[in-house]
Amino acid sequence: MSLTIAPDPAAMLEAAGQSGRHWLRRLVERPPAVIGLAGVIVVVVVAVFAPLLAPYSPVASSFQAVLARPFTAGHLLGTDELGRDVLSRMIYGAQPTLEVGVLATGLALVVGVPIGLVSGYYRGAADMLAMRITDVVLAFPFLLVAIGLAAIFGPSLRNVVLALGIASLPGFVRIARAEAMALREQDFVQAAIVTGVRDRVILFRHLLPNMAGPILVQATLTIPGAILGSALLSYLGLGVQPPTASWGNMLATAQEYLFNDPWLAVFPGVAIFLATLCFNLLGDGLRDLFDPAMR
Amino acid sequence: MTGALLEVERLTMEFRAHRGTGGGRVQAVRGVSFTIGKGEILGLVGETGSGKTTVGKCVVRLLNPSAGTVRFDGQDITRVPRGKLRQLRARFQMVFQDPYSSLDPRMTVARIVAEPVRAHTTDSATEVRAKAARAIERVGLPSGVLQRLPHELSGGQRQRVGLARALVLEPQLLIADEPVSALDVSVRAGILNLLADLQRSMGFSCLFITHDLSVAEFLCDRVAVMYLGEIVEVGTRDELFADPRHPYTQSLLAAAPLPDPVRQRGRAGARLAGEPASNVTPPPGCGLNPRCPLADDRCIAEAPAFTVVSALGHMTRCHRVEERQSAQ
Repeated sequence: MSLTIAPDPAAMLEAAGQSGRHWLRRLVERPPAVIGLAGVIVVVVVAVFAPLLAPYSPVASSFQAVLARPFTAGHLLGTDELGRDVLSRMIYGAQPTLEVGVLATGLALVVGVPIGLVSGYYRGAADMLAMRITDVVLAFPFLLVAIGLAAIFGPSLRNVVLALGIASLPGFVRIARAEAMALREQDFVQAAIVTGVRDRVILFRHLLPNMAGPILVQATLTIPGAILGSALLSYLGLGVQPPTASWGNMLATAQEYLFNDPWLAVFPGVAIFLATLCFNLLGDGLRDLFDPAMR
Repeated sequence: MTGALLEVERLTMEFRAHRGTGGGRVQAVRGVSFTIGKGEILGLVGETGSGKTTVGKCVVRLLNPSAGTVRFDGQDITRVPRGKLRQLRARFQMVFQDPYSSLDPRMTVARIVAEPVRAHTTDSATEVRAKAARAIERVGLPSGVLQRLPHELSGGQRQRVGLARALVLEPQLLIADEPVSALDVSVRAGILNLLADLQRSMGFSCLFITHDLSVAEFLCDRVAVMYLGEIVEVGTRDELFADPRHPYTQSLLAAAPLPDPVRQRGRAGARLAGEPASNVTPPPGCGLNPRCPLADDRCIAEAPAFTVVSALGHMTRCHRVEERQSAQ
């Protein structure tokens, strides 16, 4: 049998190479960012391994225990109005919540960044048009846009992703455009132009990698917005439909029982709050990390 | 020198001034003409704001000049279509002033140097690598730097990488925009010697932009002096440094102290007062007239034309030089 050697984290960071060592080390030096990162990891693990972690099925009713209080035997967080285990529903509910947050952000990133990149690099009439459109979208509150779009598209997980993704687009377009405009004037991009490098290569090999930091930060800060948005849409009945559990629709149902059984609202509410907070902390930490003034 | 590789004619570049500063147009370059022969190094000398960098950027068409032509090997660069221009770019390359910002921080040296080859040839990956390695060797860097990122290199090493990138395609013309100004004095000489050696062995022409007269004197075959967007004097290095005719050139040379105090004291030449005039509202006539100790009514009334003062093509734009010549 061979000896197992516990990996030394410092050595692993070292092995990750110059840039890896730089940013991971610096991230670890920021306690709020570490808390955020830990929280995000917990949410992701819970969502991925929900079937293994949940003590019950999220849809199994037990009519012997309807509206059981928390900490009663067998139900740590109690049961809801149909006798379903709240803890299990919370654990399963992390899935659609996270899914919407990540997919909506991914959609906004994949569509928004190329638009901003091309706008900022070429400027001109197309840029003017793109900017005026984003201005119009930004003129409305984020949630209002999301509600409007979700109402038009109709309630389903896919449509919630679509609605929140479109509502999140302007942020990515703006950031990619601003970065492209700044990078365009940098000598190394000018050098690539003089050299006769094709525009395609300049955009994707020079501009895109050099704006990865700010875009990553924007993504980390968009996810909590989308999670909140999805909770709101669920709450309004425009999101994930029962009986599938999501933190948003659990909160919506809990409203009817707020006076007699307030814990039904407290648990999903706190979960949304904490998840959002953790993503925000991580995003802020990453932003500090990429801010040249903080180096 | 047989035939000119680069002919710049009446090049003019205006920028719209920012509204907050009163609007108007900044006349960065005002009708500049010069030629560079095959294998020749022309120094473009001038102080900050004289328009020398703008000339360089127009020559490589990073800027579209407001007027004038830039003929490279007979073709007017200012008018060729984009696709054709991209192909032409393989034949003229540029080295930038700041070795820190002119290399992509996220690319290895190997990729930076290989980029022009990838853009202009259909070479296999092996050939591209070999060319990049040869270019790095040619600029005197060990092959180990190929896998490094720019931030791991010193300023001098970075500028060598910039030079390797510019020369990897063996261009006919190199535009060097203050390539040593950002470097420590100790590494400057190394880069200048390297540039001189490479020019000799590869035979490219060079437009060398600098504010440092001693650098121009060391490297250049001919030197053109710019003031307020115009070339005021141009000549072979030896003639221009030994016998400057334009009051501006004279004052520039006088500002650089000589190591010998006796010669320093004995040196003649005009001293200028004040600051350069605004290039939004340049003075009428000769651009230097508000500062020139020799200026008279004629200098304010009309702009001087070039006067040829030697058989080797030493020319200067000064009314008073004409008079002094005809008086002889």
